[in-house]
Order: sequence, then structure tokens, then C-alpha cells
Amino acid sequence: MDINYKELGLTEEELFSRVDHNELESEKITAPRYSYWKSVFRVFFRSKVNIVILGLLLFTVLFAYIYPNVTHYDPYANLMNGAAKHLSPSKAMAYFGKSIHWILGAGASGEPTFDAIWNGSQISISLAFICGAINMTVGVLVGAVWGFSKKVDAFMMEVYNIVGNVPTILIISVMAMLFSPSFWTMVFALTVVGWIGIAYFIRTQVIIIRDREYNLASKCLGTSTFKIALRNILPFMTSIIVTLLATEIPSYISYEVFLAYIGLGMSEMSLGRLIYQAEGAMVTPGWELEFWSPVAIASIIAVVLYVAGQNLGDASDPRTHM
Amino acid sequence: MRGEMSHQEPLLRVEHLCQYFNTGDTVTKAVDDVSFDIRQGEVFGLVGESGCGKTTLGRSIVRLCPITSGNVYLKGVRIAAGVQSYRDAIARAKSEYAIQSGRPGADRAALRSRLDAFVREQERQIRLARQDQKPCGGKLAAQIQMIFQDPVDSLEPKMTVGEILSEGLFLQGERDKKAVHRKVCGMLELVGLEREHIARYPHELSGGQRQRVGVARSLILEPELLIADEPVSALDVSVQAQVIQLLQEMREKSGLTILFIAHDLSVVKYFCDRIGVMYGGRLVELAEAGELFARPLHPYTRSLLSAVPLPDPVYEKSRRQIPYRPPAKQGAAADAQAWREARPGHFVRCSGAE
Repeated sequence: MDINYKELGLTEEELFSRVDHNELESEKITAPRYSYWKSVFRVFFRSKVNIVILGLLLFTVLFAYIYPNVTHYDPYANLMNGAAKHLSPSKAMAYFGKSIHWILGAGASGEPTFDAIWNGSQISISLAFICGAINMTVGVLVGAVWGFSKKVDAFMMEVYNIVGNVPTILIISVMAMLFSPSFWTMVFALTVVGWIGIAYFIRTQVIIIRDREYNLASKCLGTSTFKIALRNILPFMTSIIVTLLATEIPSYISYEVFLAYIGLGMSEMSLGRLIYQAEGAMVTPGWELEFWSPVAIASIIAVVLYVAGQNLGDASDPRTHM
Repeated sequence: MRGEMSHQEPLLRVEHLCQYFNTGDTVTKAVDDVSFDIRQGEVFGLVGESGCGKTTLGRSIVRLCPITSGNVYLKGVRIAAGVQSYRDAIARAKSEYAIQSGRPGADRAALRSRLDAFVREQERQIRLARQDQKPCGGKLAAQIQMIFQDPVDSLEPKMTVGEILSEGLFLQGERDKKAVHRKVCGMLELVGLEREHIARYPHELSGGQRQRVGVARSLILEPELLIADEPVSALDVSVQAQVIQLLQEMREKSGLTILFIAHDLSVVKYFCDRIGVMYGGRLVELAEAGELFARPLHPYTRSLLSAVPLPDPVYEKSRRQIPYRPPAKQGAAADAQAWREARPGHFVRCSGAE
């Protein structure tokens, strides 16, 4: 490769002049600036699957919250009409006229199944998010204190050993018997012991990070233990917490469906109650869509939430940011 | 000059400091009955093999772990105190009382009242110690600071350099963000880093840069005493020199007093004024640096010094390492080892046989 230096308009001296060694210059970092959350989203949206999943999740959640409110859904509008119950889509449309409400037929109380599953989704998703929020907040805060204090640790381990060994289903059955089975009873039943498992998990993580040297250094500067827990240790566990949320929230939906299915559910027409009702109608003709559509929507919500959460958990781990 | 200083109140006085850890059934004596003074403006070196309690001693002084017994004074003010020695004294007095009052013809009432008075006094001491032990938080942090051994592990990975450096200032009650920013910039310049580094995260820095951030974090509070816990042992040689030079400059500029913990004797020799040698949790020898290297008295010190390599092949060929065989571990014999002044300013702890 021949380069004509003359053409560059530089003299010999200029071409081969000495570059001064600059001490400060050598300390410079050439890599671009790093921002944690920007990198999280960059990694998350790098995968096409994640975009599809997130779109699906957003659509489902928004639809579940907007649609029943727009149409003013009333499950008992046709309760007294014997001819409106357990209809297949074609029969329902023949009876009520063509509209989006009847594309999945009619259910046990003569309600449109399509409207019923979205109303049920709204209740189930609300339950999952409220339980998730309560359990995570309490679990993370208690877990942080549990991991830090040796005295609390000794006490909480005993509590955990006792409470953790009582089957949750038993506790929830007792709750369902004791109180009227409403939405908030269900929230109470799922959160009364649900946080302890999360707290135990967080406690283990805190113990791992607690005695790292940078936390000692912070203590040396005079930072209070509370502040260290809040500012140094909790942010470190973002990825762990997100991953945990990803498994917890869908599990509440599945749990609610399961409880309703065995007859311990709440009085609101959640997805679990719909499945429970349809299961009782399995001998009646026209039950298929009435049963399978809430099952399908419950599965879709659970899977989408789980996959989105897991992938967000992966993306929030700084080790994937390379 | 140094003669005058020694008459002054020492900056730090450590008295019979013990740091025991309960490990299941046994007690690990990490630091056992260590006493020394650090004078204003000097660099006090602490050497010894791995696991001899150097780091624990440093951490006890900054109160990262509550000490078992003994006292630590900073400029005459007690900053840490242990209560175990008082508890032991009470237990001893009680068992003595049990023996004496069991003897025929003993004046039980008098013995009893003497015991009660003694226990009351000891309990008063415990209360006082507890009071001094109470966290005075920021006040102490401004006076004693620590540099940690591992620059990778001692910087919070989720905080930027700017946040790391300003944390201490904010904790000291500084509210003026501009003043903090000015100080942080000044400190970065002092340790040879750039303003641009403020927004950087520790993982973007090299090992030497990180350790300098660690040094800057301690120095920004302008402490009177700096505890440098093996600040250079995780760095390569060229960077070691950078950090040592930085500490030397700070010392000349602001009269910083340093407790320098190390196991590298060649560094200690040139950097420290006085050196303490630790072995198995105890301070075995304490002398001026030159004196210690010229006339080591304790057999362990001799062994330690004989292990230092020199960049001289002729010398290296003839260098023989003296092995150190500690005297048989008999509880009584170990206690009989006395702490005595062999020469003026040169202390050694050993038994008669040694």
C-alpha cells in the first residue's frame, strides 16, 4: 500500500513528531458510559421473543381492565332466563343476535363467556399483583432485617421452621372456612404466610453480601446499618427480586384457579370460579368453550407473565450486559 | 524532633486489646492482649504472617467488631472498650469467695461485703465501657479511616466514583452539593485521577485506579489516623509504588498518622517509623524500623527477616531461612512470656528460654 505523504500536506517533522506522554491522558477510559437500567432494557429488547411476549402481556392486561368496564359487564343479567344457559356460540348468536359478546357462547348463568373470561382475568390479575406486592414488600423488608441481625435470625429461624412446615393449603382452607370467601379474604389467605418463604430467600442472599468489604468500608464511613441495607444491599438484589417476582405472580394465578377448582375459592367470578362452574356443567351440551376458554386464558396469562419476568430477571443481571 | 513528640499524648493508645471469636465450642483468640501507642504523625507498621490477627486488630480499632476486652484511646478519649475482663474478674472474685468462706473460722459477713463492693465496682466499669462503646458514628469516622486490602471488593459496584467519595461527606452532615463536588474533584486530582472519573463505576477502572479511589474515600474526611490494611498487597509492583508514594505525600502534606498493616517487609522497612511484629494474635516485638532490622531480638522476627529476598544473586545464594519453632503450647508457659523493654524503645515478648 503506497501512501503519498506529500499529498497530505505534512512535512517530515510533522509526520514523525514525538507524541508527548501525558500522565492524565493515560488515566482516561475509552469505553462509553454505562447506565444500569439502559443496559437492562437494551438486553431485554434484543430478543424478538421478548417483544412479542411483552406485547401479548400488555394487550391481555389492558384488555382485561378496559373491556369489562366499557361494556358494563353484569354476570347475572340473564340469570332468570332458562333458555340462555349453556349455549354454544352458534346457538347463542341465534338467540341473542350477532355481537362480539357471544362468540364463545353463554355460560351457566346465561352470561356471555367472552365477557366472563375477561372479567375473571381482571379479578385474577388484580389478586396476583396485590398478593405479589404485599408478599414481596413484607418478604424483602423482613428478609433484610432477618439477614442482618443475629438475634432476629435466631428467632425467625424458629418461626420459619414451624410455619414453613404447616402445609399452606391447610392454612388457606381454615381461612376460607373462618371468613366469608371474598376477594380480600383470598388476599389475606395468600399473604398471611406467603411472605415467609420470600423473606427466608432474601435473608440467605443478605448474609452472602452483608460482610463484603465494601459494606465494611461503608460502615467505616459511619453509615448506619439500615442505610447500608437500603442503599447497598437491596439494589444489589434487583435481579434476584425480579426473578422471584416472575415466579411468584403467575403462581398466585395458578393457586387461585386451583383453590377455586377444589371449592375453596372466593365469591367473585374469577377465572378459577368460572372453571369450577363449567366443570359442574360437563354433562350439559355446550360446555366445551365454557370450560376451555377460562383455562386457556389463565394459562396464557401465567405463561406470559412468567416468561416476561424470567427474561427481565435475566436482563437485570449485570453479567448479561456484555 | 521525634524525642519531643514521644513526650506528648500519643494519638492512639491500645491497652490489652483482646478480640476473641466464639467458633462453636472453642474460642478463637484472633488478637490477644496487644498494647501499643501510635504517636502523632508517625507511620506505625504492623507485620506478621497471614492469619496472625493484623487485619482483625485494625478492624477492632475502627470498631468494625466489638472488642472482647481492653481499651482503645484516641487522643485520650476512650473510643472502644471491652467488658470481658471485668466479667472474668467478677467470676474470679466469686469463686475465691466460695473457697474462702468455706474455710473454718472465716468472717463470712466481711468477705461478703468485700465481694459485693468489688462486684459493684466492676459492674460500674462495665456500664462505663458500654457507654463508650455506644456508636458515636460519624464523629469517629471523621477521625479514623481505613483503607481496605482488596480494591475490587471494597468498592460498591453499583455506585459511581463520585457517589462513593461523597458518601462520607454527606454522612458528616455536609449539605452543600457544590462544596461536596468541589472537594471530590480536588481529591480525585490529588490521587491522580480525572474529573471525568466521577461518573464512572468501579468496574471500569483498573486495579490501581480503584485502590486510589479507596484511598481518596478515606482521605476525603481528613482523618487524623489512617488504618491501611495491606493497601498494596493486591496490586502489582508498579502500582504499589504509586499508592505508597501517594500515602507518603499525604503524610508530608497534612501530617497524617498511619497504621500500616502489611506482610511485605521491604515496603514496611522504607515506609514506617516504628514496626510491631505480630505472631499468633500477640505482639511479639516492637521497635524503631532501623533498630528492628538491625537487631531483631525475638526468634520469630529473626525468622521473618531471614525470609526477605534481596535482588542480589550473591546474597541470595548464601541466604538461609531461619525456621521458627514456637515453644510448646502450654497454657502456663505462654503466659509466662513477659513483655519487656530490651533497649530503650525496643520491646520484646518472649519466655526466658528464648
